[in-house]
Amino acid sequence: MGKKIIIPGAFLLLLVGFGACEQDRLPIFGQRQVVAREVNGKQVNDTVYHTIAPFTFTDQDGKTITNETFKKKIYVADFFFTSCRTICPIMKTQMLRVYQDIQNDPEVLLLSHSIDPEYDTVQLLHDFAARLDVKSDKWHFVTGQPKEYVFDLAQKSYFATAMEDKAEPDGFIHSGAFLLIDRQGRIRGKYDGTKEDDVDRLMKDIKRLERE
Amino acid sequence: MIKVISFSGLCFVLLISLFNCSSNSGKPDTTSIKFTQYVVRGEELYQKHCSNCHQKNGSGLGLVYPPLNTSDYMNQNFEKVLCLMKYGLKEPITVNGKSFVQPMPGVVTLTDLEIAEIATYIYNSWDHNRGIVDVAEASRVIKACTSVNQ
Repeated sequence: MGKKIIIPGAFLLLLVGFGACEQDRLPIFGQRQVVAREVNGKQVNDTVYHTIAPFTFTDQDGKTITNETFKKKIYVADFFFTSCRTICPIMKTQMLRVYQDIQNDPEVLLLSHSIDPEYDTVQLLHDFAARLDVKSDKWHFVTGQPKEYVFDLAQKSYFATAMEDKAEPDGFIHSGAFLLIDRQGRIRGKYDGTKEDDVDRLMKDIKRLERE
Repeated sequence: MIKVISFSGLCFVLLISLFNCSSNSGKPDTTSIKFTQYVVRGEELYQKHCSNCHQKNGSGLGLVYPPLNTSDYMNQNFEKVLCLMKYGLKEPITVNGKSFVQPMPGVVTLTDLEIAEIATYIYNSWDHNRGIVDVAEASRVIKACTSVNQ
């Protein structure tokens, strides 16, 4: 039974230290905790960061996709649906730019979650990906029931909005964010997937993250 | 005296050539103020309703959203293109030899004038130079497709 102690002071010091000597490092998003534990009778402080919760989805090839798929990889995640005509087409245009930038880089993957799993079947996502002419082991388009499952993951793990809203033109409200996730499953950047210059920044940050 | 004659002769030639220019009915109207207004308004409307999918440069996206910049479909289906802006399109279409299946939602709130403006913009951008699609022409086409769609 480990004893968790949150030490705001240590947390602040850590942040200051980060700022001073690691200017080139990308920020780590979300709540963090400093957890004290005993190693050989000595007190050691560990910082526990927010990470993406365990998930299971099916991709456009019918393959099961979990956190293991992205183990020790950097990936970019977003939330969309194929019948969306508002921001998704712009997001896909921009994600295609990211794809073209990283397609030969074995360290980086892409993960697009459908938030309309009832309409976006595996077959439909397969066709969509094929029509974008992208490789499925590089860019996973995933779907999973029920839709609340993906909404919940979006909100709690990726800090991205995704929910049903019948008042919206296509029945959903969702953010156009691209999330940059590091090798430990931590969020290291949030970008507006509808803005070309913000996506330029994402492509630079992927390279920065690879150098860490 | 000779100078005066030759000057007026020159004027005459100039007038003839000017007249020739403006009466050349084979060339589309791309110089009038009306045309310019249609193109400017059409571009605004295009960026509001169309460019998310078809892109600002009309290139489309992969085999998901068809291109407009070079499009045999647009050239061969002028009436249908005007109708689908308003009423959408569900059936698959072939553009430049490639099949596109993504349904296109229509924008039923578009007025005949707005459709004329968008049509003028897309039919005079990129590879197209059809000339103005004025509101009377758009109304005639839209009226015909309404009866098909209802």
